[in-house]
Amino acid sequence: MPPLDPKSGGRALWRSLDDLAGDKAFQDAVGREFPLYADEMLAPSRREFLMLMGASVALAGMTACRRWPVENIVPFSHRPEGYVPGERLQFATSYDRNGAAIGLLVSSFDGRPIKIEGNPLHPMSLGATDPIAQGTLLQMYDPDRSTGLFERAGQGEGTPRTWDEFAVWAEPILARHKASGGAGLRILAEPSSSPTLLAQKKRLESVYPQAVWVEWDPLTRDAEREGARLAFGRPLRRHLDLGKADVVLALDADLFMDDPAGLSHTRAWARRRKGEDGVMNRVWAVEAGYSLTGASADHRIPVQSALVPVALGRIAARMLRSGLTLSAGCEGLREAIERFESHAFDDPRLDTIAADLLAARGRGAIAVGPRQPAAAHALAMALDAALGNSGNAVTYADDPEPARPGHLEAIAKLASDLSAGLVETLVILGGNPAFDAPADLDLAKRIGSVSQTIRVGLYDDETSSLCRWQLPEAHYLEAWGDARGWDGTAGVVQPLIEPLYGGRSAIEIAAYLAAGAWTPGYELVRTTWSTRLPAAGFEKAWRRVVHDGIEAGAAPALTPVFAAGWGGEVARLAEARQLGGDAMELLFAKSSAVHDGRFANCGWLVELPDPMTKLTWDNAALLSPSDAEALGVKAIGDLVTMSLPGGSLVLPAFILPGQAKGSVTVNLGWGRSRAGRVGNGAGVDAYPLRTAASLWRAEAKLARTPGSAMLATTQDHWVVDTLGRKEEQVRAEELIRTGTLAEYRAKPEFAREMVEVPHAAPISTYPIEYNGHKWGMAIDLSSCIGCAACSIACQAENNIPVVGRKETWRGRDMQWIRVDRYFEGDPESPGLAFQPMTCHQCENAPCEQVCPVAATVHDHEGLNVMVYNRCVGTRYCSNNCPYKVRRFNYFNNHKHETAVSMMVYNPEVTVRMRGVMEKCSYCVQRINAVKIPAKNAGRPISDGEVVPACAQVCPAEAIAFGDLNDPHSRVRALHDDARCYGVLEEINTRPRTRYLARLRNPAEGKA
Amino acid sequence: MNQDRQSTYSFPSWVDDLKPLLAAVGLGLPVVLVLLFWYGASPATTAVGYAPPQPVPYSHALHAGQLGIDCRYCHDTVEVAAHAAIPATQTCMNCHTNIRAGSAKLALVRESNVTGMPVPWVRVHDLADYVYFNHSAHVRRGVGCVECHGRVDKMEVVHQTQPLSMGWCLDCHRNPDAHLRPPELVTQMDWQPPAQMTRAAYGRQIREKYNLNPSEDCSTCHR
Repeated sequence: MPPLDPKSGGRALWRSLDDLAGDKAFQDAVGREFPLYADEMLAPSRREFLMLMGASVALAGMTACRRWPVENIVPFSHRPEGYVPGERLQFATSYDRNGAAIGLLVSSFDGRPIKIEGNPLHPMSLGATDPIAQGTLLQMYDPDRSTGLFERAGQGEGTPRTWDEFAVWAEPILARHKASGGAGLRILAEPSSSPTLLAQKKRLESVYPQAVWVEWDPLTRDAEREGARLAFGRPLRRHLDLGKADVVLALDADLFMDDPAGLSHTRAWARRRKGEDGVMNRVWAVEAGYSLTGASADHRIPVQSALVPVALGRIAARMLRSGLTLSAGCEGLREAIERFESHAFDDPRLDTIAADLLAARGRGAIAVGPRQPAAAHALAMALDAALGNSGNAVTYADDPEPARPGHLEAIAKLASDLSAGLVETLVILGGNPAFDAPADLDLAKRIGSVSQTIRVGLYDDETSSLCRWQLPEAHYLEAWGDARGWDGTAGVVQPLIEPLYGGRSAIEIAAYLAAGAWTPGYELVRTTWSTRLPAAGFEKAWRRVVHDGIEAGAAPALTPVFAAGWGGEVARLAEARQLGGDAMELLFAKSSAVHDGRFANCGWLVELPDPMTKLTWDNAALLSPSDAEALGVKAIGDLVTMSLPGGSLVLPAFILPGQAKGSVTVNLGWGRSRAGRVGNGAGVDAYPLRTAASLWRAEAKLARTPGSAMLATTQDHWVVDTLGRKEEQVRAEELIRTGTLAEYRAKPEFAREMVEVPHAAPISTYPIEYNGHKWGMAIDLSSCIGCAACSIACQAENNIPVVGRKETWRGRDMQWIRVDRYFEGDPESPGLAFQPMTCHQCENAPCEQVCPVAATVHDHEGLNVMVYNRCVGTRYCSNNCPYKVRRFNYFNNHKHETAVSMMVYNPEVTVRMRGVMEKCSYCVQRINAVKIPAKNAGRPISDGEVVPACAQVCPAEAIAFGDLNDPHSRVRALHDDARCYGVLEEINTRPRTRYLARLRNPAEGKA
Repeated sequence: MNQDRQSTYSFPSWVDDLKPLLAAVGLGLPVVLVLLFWYGASPATTAVGYAPPQPVPYSHALHAGQLGIDCRYCHDTVEVAAHAAIPATQTCMNCHTNIRAGSAKLALVRESNVTGMPVPWVRVHDLADYVYFNHSAHVRRGVGCVECHGRVDKMEVVHQTQPLSMGWCLDCHRNPDAHLRPPELVTQMDWQPPAQMTRAAYGRQIREKYNLNPSEDCSTCHR
C-alpha cells in the first residue's frame, strides 16, 4: 500500500485504503475481467497440468451413455394425515443464545430442516433473524459433531460407550453425592433462558443442596446487570424501544448485532429512517472499534474504549450545566459528574450530543455496551431518568434470576474450588470453558485434575478432550426445550428431526442427574408448561404454544427507584487515562462469524465476510491507519506481536479506518484446535491473553513482526466500476447516493438527478412486453445496517457452496448477494455505507447478449434466468456484467459432502456442478411455490406473498420484493419513490432492482 | 534421405478403384456416428421402455384397469402438489387387510405395515435433477395422466412410454391442444373427444375456456 496522501479527502466514498490511495493493484483489479487470480490456475506444473487434462478427458468419457442411478421412492408406511410429501412445512421454535432467545420458523422438507427464518409472532425476532441464528442449521448437520459417547482415561480419542454404560458408571457416583448432600458436585453450564432447565436446576439444588451450579458466558453482559444493581440496588433488565427514540447515544454499544434484542432494535430503528414524514432519528456513536451501530450512526466519534465513560461523564456535566436536574436519589452524583470536566479528554462534538439529548427530552435513549464498567451503565441510567427517557424509550423489568452470581465471580470461585480439591465430580453442560474461560484461571489444567468429569457438548472439543466422559448433546433443532427472549417472552423449542448422533439435551441430562433416571425431554417440558398454562384446557393451550412458538406476554415493565451512595463508583470513572506511546488498549470483541468460538466449524459463517473488515476465515488485529503507520504495518496481513504481562501473541494486522487511535481490537473465538475440519487452524486464538481482570480490555504493547499472512478479505472483490465512463472520483457516489435529511426535504429527488439517464425510448434487442407479473426489488440504503443476514439466507436457500480460504482469497467467493462496504471521508474517522448487491435482473441484460449457448435468457416476467444445464462455462456473461454479481463454479464444490451434510440442501433448487455459472434468481423457486397454487386455486397473487430469502430475513425491512405491474404493491410504491434510483442505469441496463438513496440526519443539518 | 527412388512403395493399380469407396466411408462415417449417437443416446432410446422390477409385483393392469380404481385413490396429492405421492403402506392395507390378506406377494407390504419401514419402490419416471415438474399444474388444467404415463391401466409392470425429454415437453407446451381434456376427466385412460371432433379441436376449446397459456420460459421448469 502506498503512503496515504493526507490531502486525499477529495474521495468521499472508498472501499479500502488501497482504493483510496489509488494503489496500482486495485486499479489493475478493477480493470480485470475477474477478481485477482480468479481466472488463473495457481502455477500448475506441467505434470499437474497433464494430470488435470487427463482426468477431464477420462471424466468426459464416463459421463455419457449411461442411465443415471436407480432411484428409490420410500413412502411412509403410515403417512400422517394432511401431510403432503415433498412440500415445505414450517415449524415454530426458539433459539437460545447466551441466555436470550429469538423465535424461529424452520422450514422442513420431508423431515429435513433446510432453512431457518424468524418467527413473526416473536417480539425478539419479528420475522427476522441474524446470520448466526441461521448458521445453527449447518451446525446441526455438521459431520464433525460428536457422534457418540466416549470415555477417556487420560489422553487420546477415548473408548466408544453407550448411554447404558454411562448410567452404570454414573449411578454409584450420583448415589454417593446424594448421601453427602452433593458437596463435591459442581455443574458448569452456559447461560440458558429455559424455564425447564431452571426447574431441573432447582431439582438438583434440592437433591444436592451443597452442589453448586456455575454459569459462565465468555460474552457476558453482566456489566449492565451490575450497573442496575448499583443504580437501583437490585439487578434489572434494561429494555430499549428505539421506535420511541429520536436521539440515540450508543456508547461502545452495538444495538443491532451485539445485543440480545438486536433484531427488534433494528426493526424499530429502521422504521424511523425513511424521512418521508420529516421524522428521522439521529444516532450518535462513541466507540473504539467500528460496530454496525457506529456504521449506521449519523455521527461517530472514535474514542479509546477506556475513555468512553469519560465522554459520557462530560456529556452529563454539560447537561447539568445547561440546567438538567438529576432524579430523586441521584443528587449525590452531581459532584462525581463535575469531576469529568477536568479530564484531559474532550471533544467539541460532546457539547452537541448534550444539547441534542436535552432537546429531545423524553424522546432519547443512552445505551452503554457490555464492555463498559457497571458504573458507566448506572450513570447512563441516571441520565435517562433525568432526561425523562425512562418510561419511554427506556424501560426496566425484573431480572429472571436475580440471585445468580455474576459470571466472572462464579467461574473464579469454581477455579479456586478446583485448585483447593473441593470438587469430586464436575459436569460441564455445553459451552467450551477450557477454551474460553479467562486464561489466568487456568481452567483447562484444573479440569484435567478432576477425576470424575462429565462433558455434555455438541462437539468433542477442547473441553471434552480434558474430560472423562464426552456425552453428545442434542442440538436445539433435535430436542424438546423451551426458552425466553430477552424481553421475557417464553416459547417452546420443538425438535425438527431425530437426534442425528443419538444426543440428549442439557435438560434431559440435568434431570437425569437429579432423578437418577431418564425422562424424555418432551415430558419435562410439558411438566414445566403445565404450571405456566391454565390447567383447564391445557392440551389446547399447549398445542397453541407449540404451534405459535410463543406464549404471548413479556416481563412487565416496572419503575425502579434509585438507590443512594454510588457517586464514588462514578467518580472513579473519571480516573480513566488515555493510552499513548507504544502502549495500546487491546479490546476483545465478539466475532460476527464464530460468535464466542462455537461456530468455528460452520462454513457459512466462517466464510461470511465480516461487515466491517470483509475478512473471511480469519481474525486479525484491527488497527487504525495512523497506528499501523507508526508500527510499520504497511499492508493487510503484516504480522504484529502483542505483548501483555501474561503472555504474547503474534497475529496478522488489518488496517481498519475508523478504529480509534491507540486501540486495537481482536475478535475472540478463532484459532480453535478441536473445532473440526473447517475451524481448526482458522484465525488466531486471543483467549490466552484474556484474564479475569481484563475481560474486555487490556493494555498491550504492539510491535511489528517480520512476515505476513494471507488474509482473505473480500473488500476489493467484485468491484463495480464505471471506470472509463466517468472520472473515477465520482464513481462510488453514484452507486451509493447519500443525502442529508435537510437536502431530502429541499429536493426529494436529489438522488435521481445525480446522474443523467438518457430518457429517450429505451433501446432493447429483446423487446418483451411484461403483461403478467413483472417482478422487481427495491433496497432501501437508509435502513440497511450491513449485517449480511441476507447473504446467509440466500446461501441456505439456494444451496450456495462454501469454497474455502484459498478460493475466497482468489476472488472466487460464491455468495449471490454480497454487502458492499464503502468508507466515507477522513481515513481516521470515516463514515460507512453499505450496499447489498445482487443480480439486478436487467431488462436489457448485458450478460444475455454475450452467452454463446443461450444459457442465460429472459423470461416473460422479467427474470434474467440462468439455465445451468445449458451453461458451458465460457464466463463471458460474468465478464460483461456491470454489477459483477455472477458466480462461477471453478470446482465441484460439493465433492466432499457427506450423507449428513448433504441433508441441508434445499430440494427446490438445483445443486450446481463444476463449470457452471450461477447467480441470484430472485428466488424463482419461491415465486413458483406461490404462483402454481394460486393459479390452481384461480386467485391472483397478493402483494407480499412472494418473498425472496434475502427480503424475508432482513431485520431492517430494507429489501422489498413484488410485482411492479401491481399498482398497489409495496415495491411499485418504492420504485416510484423520490429517493429511488437505479445503479448504472445510465448504461441502459434497465435494472429491476433499484435502490432508495441513503438518508442521514447529521446535527449540523438541523434547521 | 537418399534411398533409391525405385524402392519407393507404390499402391497397386486396383486401389484406384477403391478411392470413391474410401471417400464415401471417410465422409459418411462421421455422419453415421453422429446419427448413431443421436439415436442411441436420445431419451427416446434410453428411457422409453424402462421397466425396472419393483419390490412388490403390484399390477396397475389389475388395480387401475380391471378393478377401475381411480389413480387419485393412491396418488392422492397429484392435484395439490408437485409430486404425485406414492401411496403409504397404509393405503394398500386399507383393502389388503381383508382381501388376499395372506398372499405371499404382499409379504413386504405386511412387513412394512408392522415395522413402519417403507417399501423401497423403484422410480420409473425419473427426470433430471435440474428439472422441476409440478403435477398439480398439469392435471388441474386438463392434461390427462395418460399423456405422459401411457396406458398404465394396461401395464402389469409400469414402464416409461414417453421420452420425457425437454424437446418432448416443449412440443406439448407449444401445441397443447391435442393433449387437453376436461380437467375433471384427467384420470380416464380411454377418454375420447365427442365423436365428430378431433382432439385438437376439442382441446382448443378447453384451452380457450380455461385461458391456458403454457409457458416456454426456462424458469418454468429449471431453478
